[in-house]
Amino acid sequence: MRVSNVTVRRRIFIALIIGTVLYASLITRLGYVQLAQGQWLQDEAGKLWGRNIPFIAQRGKILDRNGNVLVTNISVPSVWAIPAQIKDPKSTAKQLAVILGENEDKIYQEITKRALIRRVPGGRKISEEKAREIQKLALPGIQVAEDSKRFYPEGAFASHVLGFTGIDNQGLTGLERIYDQFLKGTDGHVSFPSDARGRLMPGESDTYVPPINGMDMYLTIDSNIQRFLERELDQAMVTFLADDALAIAMDPNTGEILGMASRPTYDPSSYKDVPQEIYNRNLPIWKTFEPGSTFKIVTLAAALNEGVVSLDEGFYDPGYIMVAGARLRCWKRQGHGQETMLEVVENSCNPGFVTMGQRLGKERLFSYIDKFGFGHKTGIDLNGEENGVMFKLNRVGPVELGTTSFGQGVSVTPIQQMAAVAAAINGGKLLKPYIAKEWRDGVTHSVVGRTEPVEVRQVITPETSAKVRYALESVVAKGTGRNAFIEGYRVGGKTGTAQKAKGGGYSASEFIVSFIGFAPADDPKILVYVAVDNPKTAAFASTVTAPLVRNILESALQYMKVPKREGQIEREYRYGDSQYVEVPNLLGMKIDEVAGSYYTLPLDVAGEGSYIVKQSPAAGEKVQEGSKIRIYLGDKTSN
Amino acid sequence: MTKVRTAPDFVILFATLCLLGIGIVMVYSASAVFAENILHDPYYFVKRQIIFALLGITAMYIMMNIDYWVWKKWAKVGYMASIGLLVVVLLVGIEVNGSKSWLGIGSFGIQPGEFAKFGVVAFLARWLSDRQKEIVLFRKGLMPALAIPVVCFGLIMLQPDLGTGTVLMGAAILMIFAAGARISHYLFFAFLGLVGFAGLVISAPYRMDRITAFIDPWSDPRGAGYQIIQSLYAIGPGGLFGLGLGQSRQKFAYLPEPYNDFIFSIIAEELGFIGGTFVLLLFLLLLWRGMRVAITAPDLFGNLLALGIIGTIAVQVIINVGVVTGMFPVTGITLPFLSYGGSSLTLVLTGMGVLLNISRFSR
Repeated sequence: MRVSNVTVRRRIFIALIIGTVLYASLITRLGYVQLAQGQWLQDEAGKLWGRNIPFIAQRGKILDRNGNVLVTNISVPSVWAIPAQIKDPKSTAKQLAVILGENEDKIYQEITKRALIRRVPGGRKISEEKAREIQKLALPGIQVAEDSKRFYPEGAFASHVLGFTGIDNQGLTGLERIYDQFLKGTDGHVSFPSDARGRLMPGESDTYVPPINGMDMYLTIDSNIQRFLERELDQAMVTFLADDALAIAMDPNTGEILGMASRPTYDPSSYKDVPQEIYNRNLPIWKTFEPGSTFKIVTLAAALNEGVVSLDEGFYDPGYIMVAGARLRCWKRQGHGQETMLEVVENSCNPGFVTMGQRLGKERLFSYIDKFGFGHKTGIDLNGEENGVMFKLNRVGPVELGTTSFGQGVSVTPIQQMAAVAAAINGGKLLKPYIAKEWRDGVTHSVVGRTEPVEVRQVITPETSAKVRYALESVVAKGTGRNAFIEGYRVGGKTGTAQKAKGGGYSASEFIVSFIGFAPADDPKILVYVAVDNPKTAAFASTVTAPLVRNILESALQYMKVPKREGQIEREYRYGDSQYVEVPNLLGMKIDEVAGSYYTLPLDVAGEGSYIVKQSPAAGEKVQEGSKIRIYLGDKTSN
Repeated sequence: MTKVRTAPDFVILFATLCLLGIGIVMVYSASAVFAENILHDPYYFVKRQIIFALLGITAMYIMMNIDYWVWKKWAKVGYMASIGLLVVVLLVGIEVNGSKSWLGIGSFGIQPGEFAKFGVVAFLARWLSDRQKEIVLFRKGLMPALAIPVVCFGLIMLQPDLGTGTVLMGAAILMIFAAGARISHYLFFAFLGLVGFAGLVISAPYRMDRITAFIDPWSDPRGAGYQIIQSLYAIGPGGLFGLGLGQSRQKFAYLPEPYNDFIFSIIAEELGFIGGTFVLLLFLLLLWRGMRVAITAPDLFGNLLALGIIGTIAVQVIINVGVVTGMFPVTGITLPFLSYGGSSLTLVLTGMGVLLNISRFSR
């Protein structure tokens, strides 16, 4: 035992040195973590300790321009789990799985997460019955709370424009999507320091950050005008058995969209029931097709603005026009014969428009097409807008120039035509169409923001614009747009009929018919466009879409209280048309005198007496031949 | 053989009791919330800690008065018993946290691995002191000496319990080194050991997770990196002075079993860098005085036994504190004297009793 050897002691001493060094490094490491990294770790840990109970912001409502609610929120029950309070997660998951029809394991995993509060899978926005069943179970740690869901009081109404939201109330399509940031608001929360099991930690205080509700959005849309559009499209789909149909109404002076509708449509609250092509395609901005004759407005406006034609100059139409050896036909085989340029417009005479195009030349015509906004998105505040397709200028020969002049070989969207025609009739200003008009605070209703009309550019002079209005009024009074005529409202407009492009050529039997109309022609208040794709029972714009636009305009003008005008272009009488006659002044006349003289106007007599004391409509108004005039009788002496 | 018994090393005694006292206070602070919530008795853990501490102090007192060379006779029995217990635990052990390391006797559990540490230290001290001259020989000396801890290590790794195994091997290697093994042999084994360790890590996916979690704990904060991050969230905000005794936030169920392996995190959180350093300095004091005992022991068995005991404690401290401060990958291992530990606390105090007895014969 005495051999206590030096080596052993030296080596133990070496071990001591190594041990001391290691201990020192522990202290150094401790100092580094606590003193150098301390603040950072504290910040990180702070995020962990502060547990948030979310307070979901209410999504903003969507209202029309007059404050009628189009989209609002309703409460629906949702199931939440507070894992720390759940006593028996296995049986809890099992019972919830039965009621919610959800996978038991999935629920079990969620409700056993290391978190303060979790959504129970399959428990979002459930029916009242299911909610009651769950509440009856009284499971500890499982709570039924109110969630909010979008509600559409009008059902399938402007659906493509409004769009819809997903399960998290996030905007998925339409305005809900494009303005999601404004509508959704900012969620708030109560944050309190808690342990990992979700219990409150003593000695720490709560902080409450209130939610900021989304803003209410007021649209340019007028639900009455929207209703007229929806009504006419429903009628059209039934009457004409069309593939699809679309309609837009706009204030041509501001670019405000007053209504926009598509068929087929859907109810946003059950969008899952329809194929996605239906809810994803907002036809007025998405559909591109050959405009046909409505495009002639552009050619006309350009030709008038450049002074290459005047409305009263003469033109001879033999039924075709030769362009670079090709024969471009007029839609009327035998031709319109001798006519004025105004009549060219009235008759929608193709050779006349080809001539306008030729006089402009391709550079000028295409520059106007470009300035009217074709080939570019209008920039309307909706998703899914298309560009349309124009000929490339270097590929435009005489034939392409000719066909473009009357609206063939180009592809445009309805909203582009709206913007262009609005510019042609409003004094020459191309405007950016828009739908979101005003933003208001959800609580105070004070105005937060407002969209002002945006003028893109001046395309033609106000004088040219006036001529275009006159020509288009003439189209309705005397030409192809006659079915859109409304007595006293000075409707202007243009038909369009285009063969559908199919497989690189044209379909022989399928057409897209359209009509664009406005009123009153002296000071346009509303511009309406309707297009019907492949109507089976009638094929011409004049018989399909002109009456639809007429009905919309008539309802809208009366609703908007637009006064009737004088000095309209009188309607040219054709066989079968009903004549308009001026109501004579009957006041003070004896009933026996009247009965014999106005046989064309049947009288609806009310009251007692022998003299007429009151009449309706008043003297000077125009009524359709055969309309009744209501008269009230009384004693002349008593007046 | 003349050995003069004098007074034990009071510095060691003082440091031990100091650490024990801090341990009891901190076990209470760290466990009260958990114990109240789960067991509805905030004193549940501290009561048991005090009982085991008292048992341990009694054992320490007894050991202090039993002359240490008695253990040379008992070492073989202790070693065989260790192997026996390690086999038994594999057969009938209770699995806790994925490792079969507990033998349950009524409501009372012991970990054969803890017991084996001392069995190996005692038997190795005897083996080396008897065959010191042969240790320089690779096959005749070093290999048999290494076989002693490796058998137990192998059995412990079958549980598996890498922490205890590492401490056991660490202490054994230290002893064999001190006994005079050749450095060149050591370098060879260091290489082998590294390969073996890598093999063990790769063979068990959870160990690999711990390694990657160690390299970048934030890569998987909810999974493998969870413990390291939670531990750092405790230590970091402690700063220089700490949040104050009882003010830990991480003990609110963020740190798993904060009164156990991660008690040092709570100490650092509540008592700050100053408190943590104070605890480490007490351990350093213990190391110095313990090593001094090892150097001044009257015989080679005493040298190596003391070294084995103090080495076991030092390796455990270094690994535990290294783990909770994010220097090493997570390895389940308690902090001697401080962690809530039941039988292991009693055992480590028993070991200290033996060390104190050796100190009484210092020259």
